[in-house]
Amino acid sequence: MWQTIIIQPMTNLLLWIYDILGHGPHTFGLAIILFTILIKLLTWPLNASQVKGAQAMQELQNDKEWQDIQKKYAKDREKLAQEQMRIYKDRGINPFASCLPTLVQFPIIIGLYQSITRALSATPFDMLQLARTVYPFQNVENIIPLNSQFLWMDLGRPEAVQIFGFALPTLAIVVALTTWVQSKLTMPASSNPNDQSAQMTKMMSIYMPLMLGWFALNFASGISVYFIVSNLLGVVQYAATGRANWSNLFGGSKTTSPAKK
Amino acid sequence: MKTKRLMLFFLLALGAILLSACSGRPLSNNWPGLAADAQRAYISSGSFIYAVDVQNGREVWRYPAEVDNKVLFYANPVLTQDGQLLIGSAGTNHPFISLNPATGKENWPKNFSGAKGAWLASPLVLNGKIYAPNTDGFLYTLDMNGNEAADPIKLGGALWSTPSTDGELLYVTSLDHRFYVIDPVKGVKNDPIDLGGAAPGSPAIGNDGVYVGSFASTVEFIQPSGQHEVVATAENWIWGTPAFDGETLYYADLDGIIYSLDLASGGQNWDALQPDGPIVANLLVVGDQIYAATESGSFFALDRDGKIVWEKIPGGKIYTSPVISGDLILVAPYQAEFSLAAYDADGKQAWTFTPEK
Repeated sequence: MWQTIIIQPMTNLLLWIYDILGHGPHTFGLAIILFTILIKLLTWPLNASQVKGAQAMQELQNDKEWQDIQKKYAKDREKLAQEQMRIYKDRGINPFASCLPTLVQFPIIIGLYQSITRALSATPFDMLQLARTVYPFQNVENIIPLNSQFLWMDLGRPEAVQIFGFALPTLAIVVALTTWVQSKLTMPASSNPNDQSAQMTKMMSIYMPLMLGWFALNFASGISVYFIVSNLLGVVQYAATGRANWSNLFGGSKTTSPAKK
Repeated sequence: MKTKRLMLFFLLALGAILLSACSGRPLSNNWPGLAADAQRAYISSGSFIYAVDVQNGREVWRYPAEVDNKVLFYANPVLTQDGQLLIGSAGTNHPFISLNPATGKENWPKNFSGAKGAWLASPLVLNGKIYAPNTDGFLYTLDMNGNEAADPIKLGGALWSTPSTDGELLYVTSLDHRFYVIDPVKGVKNDPIDLGGAAPGSPAIGNDGVYVGSFASTVEFIQPSGQHEVVATAENWIWGTPAFDGETLYYADLDGIIYSLDLASGGQNWDALQPDGPIVANLLVVGDQIYAATESGSFFALDRDGKIVWEKIPGGKIYTSPVISGDLILVAPYQAEFSLAAYDADGKQAWTFTPEK
């Protein structure tokens, strides 16, 4: 099922883009970039709802009524949960709206990784699996084997640039950096020291760059290309909504006053 | 808050594990390679190369003694006349090594490590030189002590197949769809020939030229001058090397069809024969029988009329080309209960070999 729903369509989409780009040198990297843009466009409404949901949740943390019920029902968790649900309903907020796009990302990342390794077919067995994966309309005889070269990288292998005999994982660094930039820009401003949502976001801005950087260090560089393009597009999307918090990047933090109701 | 922090950490760790588990390291998955002489069979099966006594199916030695996660073996080992067993690693480290076939000890003081890519193809030995094709697209020339004897020849695409030779020239197929004729002294001869598809199998040497199957689902006849023509077609990709039997050329495709081409008339000797499952392995002609192994895990013998003489089911998937050792035919199934099985010409199983942990 995973094969039919995720791997096969993704692999075929990558191969199709690769084919229409002329399947020459560097085109598989371009295919991954176009694929990422396509995924971002398809998940744009989801991401937009994430932005909206995160913002609404953030505003709620500074809301007086919300803070009051936190204090009032601090020792009655059941009642607190009921009141929270009431406020969510009253304000039309979906508390899970900010989680969904993140959850959607996981099968895409895993599927893309498997699709890249399958499409590049490093061994005869991989090639045989690829032959079974492609849809009949694909002109697969012409396009395989794929050219895994993109700029200085072999997209089927982890990347490192040799500098003075030392293997510098430049892509892993760029992945970690762009992930950090994206998470910093999307970190909402908060003045509430007990704001759990802001603390979680802050933790994410530490863990996510480390985790994705680790992925980039250890896995095919094609997935790193996806991470970088995806991060940059995420920044663009945030900037387009006017919500990007640029001050977070330079150590300062824009503060807002708690909302009055 | 502590619970949420733990939850977040758990989710991120889960993501890391899922991604780690989904593919593993590159080049970690392939079927085994196989070679044999009169005493031993040599099977390259991932982390180890095993030497197996063909009299009883017992392990004689394994190389290396301990698992090295960066070294993997999948190519067919090659036995040389001067008593070496040659093979390269397909792992992230890719030394090209020479072993003593009797002991499994390394022959060379220093392994050749000049290639950039993995070794999936076996080398060819001709006139005291080793010609070793690599997935980096270069054909390396070594002397019999593992030293580079000439500059590597840049071909193109990954090289997965052993070069063939008529004693003078080398014939090399590539995944870049091209076929190369190489003069060992002067380098690439003529312009490479476009086969219309990747060619993972070696060319078969004929009387006046070579026969090459490819993913274009064709068999091309190519003369040393570079003249070439399609002499036969198939329903699906042709993976293995065609096999000669006098004036007949046998080949098979991924639909599992076995063909028998009469080279004199250009016609097929029998109608599409499709016994069981896709065929990747080379067909093996011994005496009056043609042996074929399928992805479905069956191994069978045909007579020259295309009639199945016997069929055995070793299990797993068989992609590795069967080889002969004395009176035995050796088969190495992939993902099966055992790694190697020996059959006589009547299909009687002599022994099986499963490596001890």
